[in-house]
Amino acid sequence: MIELEKLVGIATIALVVALNPANAQDDVLLLDDDVQFDGDFAFDDDLFGAAFDEDSSANTSSWLDDFTIKISQQFSGQINNHGVDIAPGFSLPREAELETNRLGANIRYQNAFAPGWVLQFSGQIRSYWKDDYEYEAEGDKIDIEYRINEFFLQHSFDQHSLKFGRQTVVWGETVGNSVLDVINTTEFRDFNIIDIEDARLNQWMLVWDYFGEDSNFSSFVNLYPEFNPAAVRGSPFFFEPEFNLTDYDRDSSMLFEAGTQWRKSFEGSDISFMAAYLYENQLRYEDPVSRLGDAVAETNDFFLLGFSANRAIGKLLLNFDLAYSHDVLADSFNFPGTASLANPVNLKKDQIGTSMGFEYAISNEQSVSLGIQAQMLLDEDEGLLPGQSLINDGVFGSWLMRYSNTLMNNDLVISSTLQGDLAANSLLALLGADYTINDNWAVSGQIINISSNDESPLLFFAEDVRLSATLTYSF
Amino acid sequence: MQGNILSKGLISLVTALFLIPLQSTAQDLSGREIMEKLEDNRRATSNSALSRMQLSTCKFGVREGKITCAERPRVKSLESVGKGYGVDLKDSRSVAILLDPPAERGIGMLSFIYDDGARDNETWLYLSALGRVKRIASGSSDDETEPGSLFGSEFTTEDQDTGKLDEYEINLLEETEISGREVWKIETIPNEERARQSRYSRTVLYIDKERFVELRIEMYDQYGKEIKRMLGTRVELMNGIWVARSTTIMNLVTNRLSNMAFLEMHTGIDVPDEFLTQRTLTDAAFRETELEKLRAQID
Repeated sequence: MIELEKLVGIATIALVVALNPANAQDDVLLLDDDVQFDGDFAFDDDLFGAAFDEDSSANTSSWLDDFTIKISQQFSGQINNHGVDIAPGFSLPREAELETNRLGANIRYQNAFAPGWVLQFSGQIRSYWKDDYEYEAEGDKIDIEYRINEFFLQHSFDQHSLKFGRQTVVWGETVGNSVLDVINTTEFRDFNIIDIEDARLNQWMLVWDYFGEDSNFSSFVNLYPEFNPAAVRGSPFFFEPEFNLTDYDRDSSMLFEAGTQWRKSFEGSDISFMAAYLYENQLRYEDPVSRLGDAVAETNDFFLLGFSANRAIGKLLLNFDLAYSHDVLADSFNFPGTASLANPVNLKKDQIGTSMGFEYAISNEQSVSLGIQAQMLLDEDEGLLPGQSLINDGVFGSWLMRYSNTLMNNDLVISSTLQGDLAANSLLALLGADYTINDNWAVSGQIINISSNDESPLLFFAEDVRLSATLTYSF
Repeated sequence: MQGNILSKGLISLVTALFLIPLQSTAQDLSGREIMEKLEDNRRATSNSALSRMQLSTCKFGVREGKITCAERPRVKSLESVGKGYGVDLKDSRSVAILLDPPAERGIGMLSFIYDDGARDNETWLYLSALGRVKRIASGSSDDETEPGSLFGSEFTTEDQDTGKLDEYEINLLEETEISGREVWKIETIPNEERARQSRYSRTVLYIDKERFVELRIEMYDQYGKEIKRMLGTRVELMNGIWVARSTTIMNLVTNRLSNMAFLEMHTGIDVPDEFLTQRTLTDAAFRETELEKLRAQID
């Protein structure tokens, strides 16, 4: 409970500090709402004159202009003291506690240093303070972590563009849960990241774009495919495995991924066809030989054929993705941020999947979207031994609904996300608020509630309520 | 949502808010004729234009008897390129890139605006966090949605959408003087159909007779109460066009004001069609190279 009070206290202080109207001009008389002017009134013609003064010096560019830096302090924690019944007579205690207390900096650099050339870099550094799970995992020591996100060199000429380095490739139209968005790996380290847009990891790739008159091709080669990282020790998703989960041992094997997408726009619609040779992002772990040593990480390659389309009808945008995957593993216990701990059936099968949904602009301030992802293995019973069954049989998938409302001239954004699986075994509900204080400062908060029955791996987080607050300074 | 807002207002923003080429010789124009000239001239300035603007918004109050910001203004700056297409260049395409604030730097928007009300406008947005170009459902320019804020400012799409003159009753009220300038005072009243889509039941414009620049606009709600006032200042000749380089709109209901400062505006630019495509959103090397070529035309 002390942790909870600490979290609420810290969040309150952050909000108060952030919302303190330090920029207010205290010698200005504030007017009542619905003010009326009779005829002319005095208006300071030079109020925004500085804009033109600044313009005269706008040509004095600095190399620092190529940098965008965002510094943020985040607190979050589980605030509901409860227990989870994971087996008859056994309840897992879930105590309220601070989970994250971290200061981070995101740095982005983009420099068009010569005609047709761009160098782009983005990275992050995190410092984990007291009570952060990474602090505790390091033996109560402040831990600092660095990570390079983007780092690529781009050269564009005529109708071509070549981009080499760490980058992402995103396929599919359905936002948030497209069956085609499988090129890059993801890391859902904790519940502060539940959107795939934030969880996507960059990989070393060469991307070639061809911009034709009526359509575009975009192709990629990845000579060093990476895999979803295992859960970080101490994080909410970490469970002590029976055997250590290690990275894939590449030995002398040569792995690569490649794919291409053709895209064309029509009035009111965009369509794409794509094909790729890929590795499943989730490694499958098997018990070590003689049950000694580390778990053995196995990769699986497969072919993907896809089609995606959208259609705008007034304020409605319809999205559709279709994926056919050849030779995917029949069983791959795939839970965000965790490894495969089950003993899956060692069969390769073909899979068909679709994601579809809509986005609707209720008004200029409000929008709602829904995406449904459904997948099914073909000939799912073929090759199974008597008594065997797949973890995912029949149609399986998830749905995602988002709502946002923009208030106060875009300064305040209220958003809500509901996410669940098609079998209705779990539900994740998020309510968030993002407030932009001024051009540099922003503060955000969110509360997440998880519901689950014992059919879902989210059972371990059932009835968890998480509260978080983040203060951000950008420049 | 941002896309919806931008798509509707972008072209008007880029092109011609209060930009009126002048040299009118007719001094005995009717209200309708004056408004038609405004419309024609705005369309002319929308074609092949490169602009750089700053948009500032704040809560306002009174200091020493003058309206002023009661807080530090929120400032956004952007660069935009537009071009006319179709019959009489009544359709248009534009690209806008936000330069500031840092948190929004690099957000790009491509818009195709169709004059034909039966064709929906098209908008694509590029957010680096999204990792791809995304089509935005924006609806037609004359649908029955509430007019939206432009970049979170007090400027709305309706404030810039002064066309569709057939849908208004236009009255030349008087010839008067404002800020030492001779002006026409013109009243526009939407017809029944237009009124359903508008938050204004009546608008009064004060147009500089010599320079054809709107120096003041008053917007009234259905109860006859003034709810917004717009002021055009810093009228200067830019590229042969008289321009109110600083335009301020005050929302008298919320006591917030926004100022749009045209830092640069260049017309007659040779904009290649390839620039007004999705490639400009995603291909930073291409975009920066082509922008340099466009800027070189100015120099």
